Amino acid sequence: MPQIIDTTVQVELSADGDPRAFVWDRFEHVVIGQPQAVFTRTRWWENNGTPTRIDTELWRVDAARGGEDQHRYDLRHDADGTWVLALDWG
Amino acid sequence: MSFPHLHVASAYSTHYGVTLPEALAEQAAADGATFLAVTDRDGLYGAVKHVRACVAAGISPGLGADLEVHDDDTLAPLGRVVVLAHGGSAGQGNTGQGNAGQRNAGQSSGGRGYAALCRAVSSAHETTARLPGHPPSIPRRRLAQLAGLDSLTVLLGPASDVGHAVERRDNPRARANLVEWQRIMPPHSLALEVVCHLTEPGMPGSVAPATRMLALAEYARLPAVLSNAVRYGTADEAVTADLADAARNLTPLAQLAGPQLAGPQGAGPQHSQTEAGPLQVNGQAWLKPAAAMRQVARMVVDAGQHSDGALARLLRDTHDLADRCALDPIGDIGLGRPRMPEASVIGVTRDPLAELWARARHGIDERYADAGRHGLTAAHDRLAHEMATVESLGFAGYFLTVAAVADIVRGMGIRIQARGSGVGSVLNYALHTSSVEPIGNGLLWERFLSPERQTLPDIDLDVESARRHDIYRKVFETFGASRVSLMSMTNAYRGRGAVRDAGLALGMPDTQVAAIAKQMWRFNARDFRAALAEKPELEELATEVRESAQLDLLVDLTARLDRLPRHISVHPCGVILSDASLLDRTPVQASGMGLPMSQFDKHDMDPMGLIKLDILGVRMQSAMAHAVEEHHRLTGEHIDLDRVPLDDQATFELIRSTRTLGIFQIESPGQMELVGKLQPEVFNDLTVEISLFRPGPMQNNMPLRYLEAGHGEVAPDYIHPRFEPILRETNGVVIFHEQVMRLFDELTGCGLGHADVLRRHLGRPEQLSVIEAYVREHALGRGFDAGTIGRVWTVLAGFGSFGFAKAHGAAFALPTYQSAWLKTHHPAAFLAGLLTHDPGMWPKDLLVAEARVLGVPVLGLDVQRSALDYRVESVGDGQGIRMPLPELSGSSDAERARIVRHQPFTSLQDFRDRVHPRRRTFEALARVGALDSFIDHDRTRRHELLAHIQSLRGTAITIADDQLAFEVPLPVLDYEGPRFDAVTSLQLRGRTQSDLELLDTGLAVSGHRMRKYYPLFAELGVTPASQLATLPGGTDVLLAGVRRATNTPPMRDGRRVVFVSLDDGTGPVANVVFFHDAQERIGGGVFQTELMLVRGRTRRSGARGVSVTGEGMWDLVTVARDRARAQAKAARADGAAGVNTAAAAAAAARPLRRAAGSGTTEFDLWSTQSA
Repeated sequence: MPQIIDTTVQVELSADGDPRAFVWDRFEHVVIGQPQAVFTRTRWWENNGTPTRIDTELWRVDAARGGEDQHRYDLRHDADGTWVLALDWG
Repeated sequence: MSFPHLHVASAYSTHYGVTLPEALAEQAAADGATFLAVTDRDGLYGAVKHVRACVAAGISPGLGADLEVHDDDTLAPLGRVVVLAHGGSAGQGNTGQGNAGQRNAGQSSGGRGYAALCRAVSSAHETTARLPGHPPSIPRRRLAQLAGLDSLTVLLGPASDVGHAVERRDNPRARANLVEWQRIMPPHSLALEVVCHLTEPGMPGSVAPATRMLALAEYARLPAVLSNAVRYGTADEAVTADLADAARNLTPLAQLAGPQLAGPQGAGPQHSQTEAGPLQVNGQAWLKPAAAMRQVARMVVDAGQHSDGALARLLRDTHDLADRCALDPIGDIGLGRPRMPEASVIGVTRDPLAELWARARHGIDERYADAGRHGLTAAHDRLAHEMATVESLGFAGYFLTVAAVADIVRGMGIRIQARGSGVGSVLNYALHTSSVEPIGNGLLWERFLSPERQTLPDIDLDVESARRHDIYRKVFETFGASRVSLMSMTNAYRGRGAVRDAGLALGMPDTQVAAIAKQMWRFNARDFRAALAEKPELEELATEVRESAQLDLLVDLTARLDRLPRHISVHPCGVILSDASLLDRTPVQASGMGLPMSQFDKHDMDPMGLIKLDILGVRMQSAMAHAVEEHHRLTGEHIDLDRVPLDDQATFELIRSTRTLGIFQIESPGQMELVGKLQPEVFNDLTVEISLFRPGPMQNNMPLRYLEAGHGEVAPDYIHPRFEPILRETNGVVIFHEQVMRLFDELTGCGLGHADVLRRHLGRPEQLSVIEAYVREHALGRGFDAGTIGRVWTVLAGFGSFGFAKAHGAAFALPTYQSAWLKTHHPAAFLAGLLTHDPGMWPKDLLVAEARVLGVPVLGLDVQRSALDYRVESVGDGQGIRMPLPELSGSSDAERARIVRHQPFTSLQDFRDRVHPRRRTFEALARVGALDSFIDHDRTRRHELLAHIQSLRGTAITIADDQLAFEVPLPVLDYEGPRFDAVTSLQLRGRTQSDLELLDTGLAVSGHRMRKYYPLFAELGVTPASQLATLPGGTDVLLAGVRRATNTPPMRDGRRVVFVSLDDGTGPVANVVFFHDAQERIGGGVFQTELMLVRGRTRRSGARGVSVTGEGMWDLVTVARDRARAQAKAARADGAAGVNTAAAAAAAARPLRRAAGSGTTEFDLWSTQSA
């Protein structure tokens, strides 16, 4: 079962624009391999105002803290530019 | 590093793509791209705009189409593919300009890819024409054939049959489908398209099928290219694409998206992301920049097992294909190179230029035979001048072509009249393309064509509206379908459509959306929010919007849809003529009338070098043709309207009398008034009149200035003696484009060609200072003083863009004169034409009233005589017009055709036997009197006739034309004896013949509706409309009549003025003006009351112009009823006390007469006409 984290994190991007590392709980987690992005549609017509995006940007990354075992995480990139660590899949 | 997008739908993929080509090209260029393809769905709808946008943005255009493909034999669908045109060696060949007969697009390598693409799109639409209901789809073998010779690349992506199998993880099927494609398509014409929209795993557009597609390409040793199957420029436009999905599916978004957020296991869309499925899975189909596309590529490659270098190979293959598909706008597409039909097609065997010279010289000799030696020489000089331009531009073929079309139309016996700036050409006049003499009318060639003019010439041909389609078919037949196509037009979203589709997407109730749509006018949908804030009439809606989040959203979404292309349809008059390479340069599809229609619209014509001819149906031409035909039928005489002398005094007298109802261009109340002021005496006066009656001149008071100088009240101001020849014809007022051009030329010596360029730039404020500097500099050198230059510049700058080409005015003036001539000399035939073709602004009732005033009775329906259109009949010494059968409401074409076929009838039974009318038609005919010939035209016996017809009983039988009729015995009745007096039909009782006519035909012809009020009018002292012109200005009058028109023209001070045209049956309409204060006093009646009595004061404008300023108004029906009661009361009192009845009635009338005043004379017209 994934663990819900839901906290804002600092994300460092590579020159290509992929998440390279993020800082969570003061520790840097380094992304391993090619992270995958997923965009999920919203039912925007049920909310107030016209959206600038109709989908939510989610990055599924494998990352490790120092020499520890790698975990799979979901990083959400919100429309306002903030990154949220949504899930820790273990 | 840039990324070339190969699969992009523009907004011209209606209800699918949502970004205009210009925005896409700019965005791509800003991202550093050097190439951008547009591949619209089912066509090249946005292709020309895309190519021009790419040229403007400095990038290479690619063109393709997103097409459905099917198996040739089984018709089984093979999904959608992207067909991309290959570029040739740029600029090779094709240097000849306008060289008719040259056909090279299909032969040199330049343009071959584009030609094949055009043919492929047309082929897809042929399927629809052949199999009605089938969507556009190209047979695969046809596609393979077109892709030969390295012309096309076909991208098999997620929407193809291969992609579908890949999506289903059905590897064997995917491979088998691909093998089939490889077997049929020529070598090197296939590539696999990898699309990944980063949707959730398991959904279409996710990374897994994309990586499997890449693997399939590796397995099959085919190139794989990356695309984003783009539907919009930026990510935030995904919202608009959602709206497009809802509109395309006619389904609200909530319903399209399913009950919950569609997860991998949810009820997600069944279609692939790039197919036009219900709703896009997410919002990633935007024109992503290079970095984002490479990111996608990395994810796709990383998600599968691929050989080393797969990422680099994918991107390289994409770039390589883009290089192959980069089109040269000139070499490949032929941008800007005009192509005329081959000379041989129009029967020219020698050099077109020599042929044109010969025909033109001959034409000049013929046209100017009576012009004297000087006139003839002048015409030949002008011809030489025009021909020099024609030769240098290589347009000889064009003029021959247009003349050939004009000949075709005339050869069909159809009236034709050129319109537009082409009328200014003596060449067109000599070729009989135009019938207006240009030199004497002061028309300029340079307004039409000059080396300085960058656009293709444009000649518009007005033809009889009723024959327009016949002409199109004949033109197709003559030139061949490979050279002719109709033009299309793009219909874009406007306010109401936008709010409806936005409301649909949000799932709002129809009634609510309709109520809002009703208020969407007089502003652009994109300014909806601003309009809500500013416009008082939208206050209520604005409040609702503030309170409802959904309405607030609706406002935004409506603005997003505004101006987006919605659908294409056939243009009302554009016909494209070209050489045999036409179908290599434009795709065609079937139009509503069956003839092929280009996918390009009028904005695409000039860039594509396509010659467009406007063949416009004009009802007045049909009406005049009808008149000429009727005259011929009755008298055997043939009138050649185009040879009627243009100085007939009786015709001008009619025009000056302002009885212009029915005359082309000058029949509106405003025109009647202006004609009354200007009092035209010669043809040129008509040209001036028509040119003055336009918003710009009217608002700038130009008619008044023209008049004052004309009447000698002020001296005409020519500013400088050297301008007098230019401005004399308009009394010093600058009215025409041609005058502006001449002024520029006189001031600067720039030549008329350049003068026209300057003239057109006057409409651009940012150009004014440049032109002014140019004028000042040159005019000083040409001997004008600074004061003169300053004054003339003020006039020129103020002229702006609102002037009118004299060529247009003169072209309009000709049918104006011709129709006036017909009305003067052949009123019956002319009115029959007007009633049949209904060309003008007035209702038929008024035309009938006008006919009656002109002494031409309109005769009622009669099954013995009525035809299918209005016909002239001899009546006594004069002529009448017979009402035609189609005016009977509810009768069928088949019934009418049978009546006409079997006329005349010997008896009622004979009529029944041969016509077999339906009961409803039979009864209506009896009611309205069309069967009166069977009862000796004795109206009183109609009750009996109707009763008899109504009593008929029988079994319904089917007869020819699937018509129901009754098989009953129908004895020839003995209509005699007292028993018939006992029969009264309730449908007839108490109804006048006019009432019955209005009931069954909507048009009263036997008498004027107002006639029953004439005794009342006489009593009240109402002035007949026909006598209004005899009264001096400032006379108090009473007017009465039925409202025929209401106009609210915009006025300079912004206050609304209401013009009401009243018809009392005595003559032309009386025009009553209600100013602001009167409107306030009268209220809604100004717009609502149909039959009215008006108190007002005459207002004279010019010699014959008269209108009435309305001061008070009553409902005529109420006035009549009240007076009838008063009279009845008076009569009772009379009986009791012996008081004079007339005195009492006069007393009742007093409140109204008080205002009538001494100026009102008694008119005996009422008593004579009411007799």
